[in-house]
Amino acid sequence: MKTLLDIDNGKKIKILKISGGKSIRQHLQSLGVHTGDIVTLKKSSFLGGPVLLEVNGYDVAIGKGVASKIEVEELE
Amino acid sequence: MKIAFIGQPNAGKSTIFNGLAGYKTVTANFPGQTVHYTISKVKFEDEVFEIVDLPGIYSLTAIDMAEFESRRYILSGQADVVINIIDASTLSRSLELTLQLAELQVPMVICLNMIDEARRKGIEIDKDKLSHIFGVPVIETVANKGIGLDKIFSSSKKAYYEKLIPKIQFFHKDIEEKIEEIERTIPTDFLKNLPRRYIAIKLLEGDKELFEEIRKHPEILEKINNLREEIKTTHGRDTDTVISSERHALAMNIFEEVAKVGEPLKSFREKVDDLLTNKYLGYPLLFSILFGIFFIVFEVGKIIEEPLIEGFNSLIERLPNFVEENSLMFFVLKGLLEGFSGGLGVAIPYLIPFFIGLTILEDIGYLPRMAFLMDTLMHRIGLHGKSILPFVISYGCNVPGVMTTRILESPRDRFITATLSVLIPCAARTTVIFGLVGAYIGGLAAASLYIFNIVVIMILGAILTKFIPETAGLIMEIPPLRIPAIKNIFMKTWLRLKDFMLVAWPLLIISSIILSFIEYLEINFILNKIFSPVVNWFLGLPEQTGIALLFGILRKELSMIMLFQAMHTTQLNTVMTDLQLIVYTIFTIFYMPCVGTMGVLLKELGFKKMISITFLTISLALILAFTVRLVLSFII
Repeated sequence: MKTLLDIDNGKKIKILKISGGKSIRQHLQSLGVHTGDIVTLKKSSFLGGPVLLEVNGYDVAIGKGVASKIEVEELE
Repeated sequence: MKIAFIGQPNAGKSTIFNGLAGYKTVTANFPGQTVHYTISKVKFEDEVFEIVDLPGIYSLTAIDMAEFESRRYILSGQADVVINIIDASTLSRSLELTLQLAELQVPMVICLNMIDEARRKGIEIDKDKLSHIFGVPVIETVANKGIGLDKIFSSSKKAYYEKLIPKIQFFHKDIEEKIEEIERTIPTDFLKNLPRRYIAIKLLEGDKELFEEIRKHPEILEKINNLREEIKTTHGRDTDTVISSERHALAMNIFEEVAKVGEPLKSFREKVDDLLTNKYLGYPLLFSILFGIFFIVFEVGKIIEEPLIEGFNSLIERLPNFVEENSLMFFVLKGLLEGFSGGLGVAIPYLIPFFIGLTILEDIGYLPRMAFLMDTLMHRIGLHGKSILPFVISYGCNVPGVMTTRILESPRDRFITATLSVLIPCAARTTVIFGLVGAYIGGLAAASLYIFNIVVIMILGAILTKFIPETAGLIMEIPPLRIPAIKNIFMKTWLRLKDFMLVAWPLLIISSIILSFIEYLEINFILNKIFSPVVNWFLGLPEQTGIALLFGILRKELSMIMLFQAMHTTQLNTVMTDLQLIVYTIFTIFYMPCVGTMGVLLKELGFKKMISITFLTISLALILAFTVRLVLSFII
């Protein structure tokens, strides 16, 4: 299963599952990141750094630890 | 009439509030600046409006302190009208909060702010349609340019007098059935000030606070848990996720109905943004920006500080002309003047340019990008990217540095960040480092002290993390880059300065007077004797330095100024060895926070933590200074 860490820059992806407990899930939901959303990966993790997602026209940074708990699927 | 501003972080609530109420709150292009809410009274057309600026919240779920506080305020029913401030460029997400606010059934006005930014992104919003859907007034504003702000009062009046309560937007039928079932079950006197529907939904979501309440009715609790299980089996997901997706779907539907998304203007800003967070170029840029600011601050600061302090010193020297020398009055006045000039000597020359630089970075939106870049490094010490902000500010002054820890979500991160922040050499300690080690030993030695300091902080961070394990990682919005408004920058600098003056300055003056008393009573000698075992025997410093270190607690640079006095010379290298100068400086860098910082630690973290941080830093300073003494005595 692919996580946010396995995706290249600029790829469109669909979020399949957010694991890692209620608090992480709710924090992401409140920032507009939900299971089933289609988002763009603007910047992939570099040397263990965070990833940058574009969600409906705004950017959200997600640390490596959290990103590894988000399962995604690449779209064409 | 009481109107409350509520909206997601960075939607421009504080900017609107300031525009209406005169400058009273701090705004920033950093999510989550307002932690405590601010109230102001404004008269408009014979009516007095009490405006409440609540901390920005992404939802009513209450994830951090700020969200909890905002939610509690709205639920208390004190607000006559809720003004939902929305960053129009993030409308789809913001509507999720609007939907939750609608459940509270209070008269509401929807304010689409930053409408210019939305247009730049190619989003056109039909505000009449939106107003029709929710049944409340919708207005458009561009707060930082002051456009449309007057409409807030007139539409609040309309919402209040015509009782324009937002229309409920319904979920899918199966969820609505469950909500109705809970609404029927809960007793009428259960939290009777809250709308039934709100309670039902929050219970379904498994809200902590409401669950505590419902525990008193075990039979209802059981029923709710059954319903939650039912949803979980039919939807295959936890109820909080199900409801959140329902709301998300509703918000998207409304968004599609009211907004047309065209081609965004590919802007220059995006190119700059891309460069600032570039994985290679981002770091040298970060370094040059920070270095540039510190360089300017110290160069500008020095030019202003010297004449300022000289002026006060000559005033103090001339004191005997006005009051009898060595009388009690003389010492009180001297203490007062020294404390006053100390605050002035730091605040005016260093803090003002520093705050201006910081505010510009903040309003542009550079700070979240800095947090993004530094996330990896911060994880090494068990924190995440956001903690870099208090650290950087602390190089200017620890007082605002500690205050900034408020932006962190968990109390654990706030405590560790505050503890490490107070170890960072502020402007005052920089004076000591350069005045003692830099001047007598050399620039390279001074620079290595900074590196030594960073290494110690990182090691300590790593150790603290072993004891208090790390919590969830970085999740943060990166707002678009913005061009700061000059008026905002000056107002914010002034507010920050005011914070410093109210917390740190009075303490400085009082303790300066107390130390003056010590001088008057001529107990310097006794105090030096008391400290002698530590200062002389343990650290190998001259006995007279004890009193100088004591003064350093007031203001760190006093530990240098008083050293000249205590040793009766300005040529310290004639009376102290290089090793002694280094040990003395290291001790000064690390030993306990100055009184101003202790004041703000007390305010932010409470008495116990303030004491433990103080104790920790004293022990750290003793250990480090002693180790350095031992190690270097072999080398030098």
